[in-house]
Amino acid sequence: MITTLRLEYFKIRRKRIGIMILLFLTVEILWAFMSISRSIASNPEHAIWESVIFTISSMNGLFMPIISAIVVSRICDMEHKGETWKMLVATNVSRGQLYVAKYLCANSLLLLGILTQTLLMIMFGLIKDFPGSPPSDLFARFILGTLLITLAVTALQQWISLVIKNQAFALCLGMLGGFIGMTAGLFPATIRHIFIWSYYLDLSPITYLFSESSSTYMKQPVDVVIIGIAVIMTTLFYIAGRIHVSRQEI
Amino acid sequence: MTASAIVQTQNLSKKYGSFNSVNRVDLHVQEGEIYGFLGPNGAGKTTTLKMLLGLVKPSEGTIKIFGESLNKNRPSILHRTGSLIESPSYYGHLTGLENMKVMQQLRNVPDKNVDEALRIVRLENHKNKKTEQYSLGMKQRLGIAMALLAFPKLLILDEPTNGLDPAGIGEIRELIKSLPSSYGITVLLSSHLLSEIDQIATSVGIISEGNLLFQGKMETLRKKSKSSIFLKTGDNSKAEHLLLTQGYCPVESDNWLVFENLIDTKVAEMNKFLVDHNIPVTRIEEHKKSLENIFLEITGKERSL
Repeated sequence: MITTLRLEYFKIRRKRIGIMILLFLTVEILWAFMSISRSIASNPEHAIWESVIFTISSMNGLFMPIISAIVVSRICDMEHKGETWKMLVATNVSRGQLYVAKYLCANSLLLLGILTQTLLMIMFGLIKDFPGSPPSDLFARFILGTLLITLAVTALQQWISLVIKNQAFALCLGMLGGFIGMTAGLFPATIRHIFIWSYYLDLSPITYLFSESSSTYMKQPVDVVIIGIAVIMTTLFYIAGRIHVSRQEI
Repeated sequence: MTASAIVQTQNLSKKYGSFNSVNRVDLHVQEGEIYGFLGPNGAGKTTTLKMLLGLVKPSEGTIKIFGESLNKNRPSILHRTGSLIESPSYYGHLTGLENMKVMQQLRNVPDKNVDEALRIVRLENHKNKKTEQYSLGMKQRLGIAMALLAFPKLLILDEPTNGLDPAGIGEIRELIKSLPSSYGITVLLSSHLLSEIDQIATSVGIISEGNLLFQGKMETLRKKSKSSIFLKTGDNSKAEHLLLTQGYCPVESDNWLVFENLIDTKVAEMNKFLVDHNIPVTRIEEHKKSLENIFLEITGKERSL
């Protein structure tokens, strides 16, 4: 298992996956920080840690499904392109092992992205002189929540990327996910909760209450049901994908 | 099963819907052999080899490799088997050496094996080049190097000379021929080229439309290509009658008298004998069945391989 995972990291050299994650995150962060800066300029009360956590959480709904789709696709596509499945399986690498190695590899890279995002958020808050020290509990919940949804999204993406050789399908799914994630807030909760990409906001530690007089950021309690659904989706996507890929003839 | 059988299948079959891709094939590959698995395109060669490696599940039949059941001992069997199936497998964004390193990690073999395998296929000067920049022949050689990396007991090669130029084909042919004696490797290779199998293999299996039609030593197949003497005279029936009295065994076929296993002096004697008896000899021809004719006869296909 360790060998297979180590090989995954070896195999992605020159794939420029890290640079790609960084580029996408840079665009997202710049966009978010500009938006928050404008918001603070018009309403100084928004110069708080909650504003940056909420904004990034909502923007993750757009960016993370796309980044996840690209990362997973890059990791899986090399096996299709080089027709390496038969070589690996004939060398006694089980497809199950390979599946878990790719999953861990993709998610470890995305976790690094989430941690970088968090670091930049903290730096932004310190530069903007937000009151108080960075709220570690909120940032921890932000990291764990985003990671949990990412685990589910990558499980779905990996299933598609490994089963369908043409990566256009997987990338289109990622873009569709990004669109749903971005517009999720516009749908009623019952409809929204069908789609895993809308959970970035649901698992955010901060929510935004709109009212006619003034809108405010609020702490959002931990929703055990949403976490449960996300865990179930992750498990289902992962197991279904792994079984499907393992049973395919080469 | 005999003690020295490296690969043995029994009733090995693969069905796709109602189509029999491989039908009750009983392969028998002995230790130290170069076994040529010959058949036209679409005959079921690759499917059979894939089943031997566990890449495709048989619909029926059993596979024993090294005397062990593939179903029960797949990891241990694959540990001792190298393979190159269909086109070579490689990571295009990695260099030749990095591709070998991937295989090295999986096979858990020392660095010297990597150097040796690259040297054998003459890729040591291109090892730092990305494989996507390799020619098809270089990719094929890299595939063979990866299959050879652990110097396995059994090497399964599916059309190993595909995409190689004549010089490359010659090199790979010589390499394969040297493997049993130099490294103790038993080779099972498939090809649709009769000439290739003729030059490399010590044993041959001929498959067509999923059925194994011939299996045995190359010598046995070559013996089928013995020559016949075809004789035409002014009076074939009289000549046949006279020759029978002299101990010859002619068989009449399409206005010809055909003789098997006749040496040159006997042919000369027979000619003189007929002329002396006032039977004009109008034609004497030697017909020799080529291996290709034998192959076409066996497979029943009057078409190009």
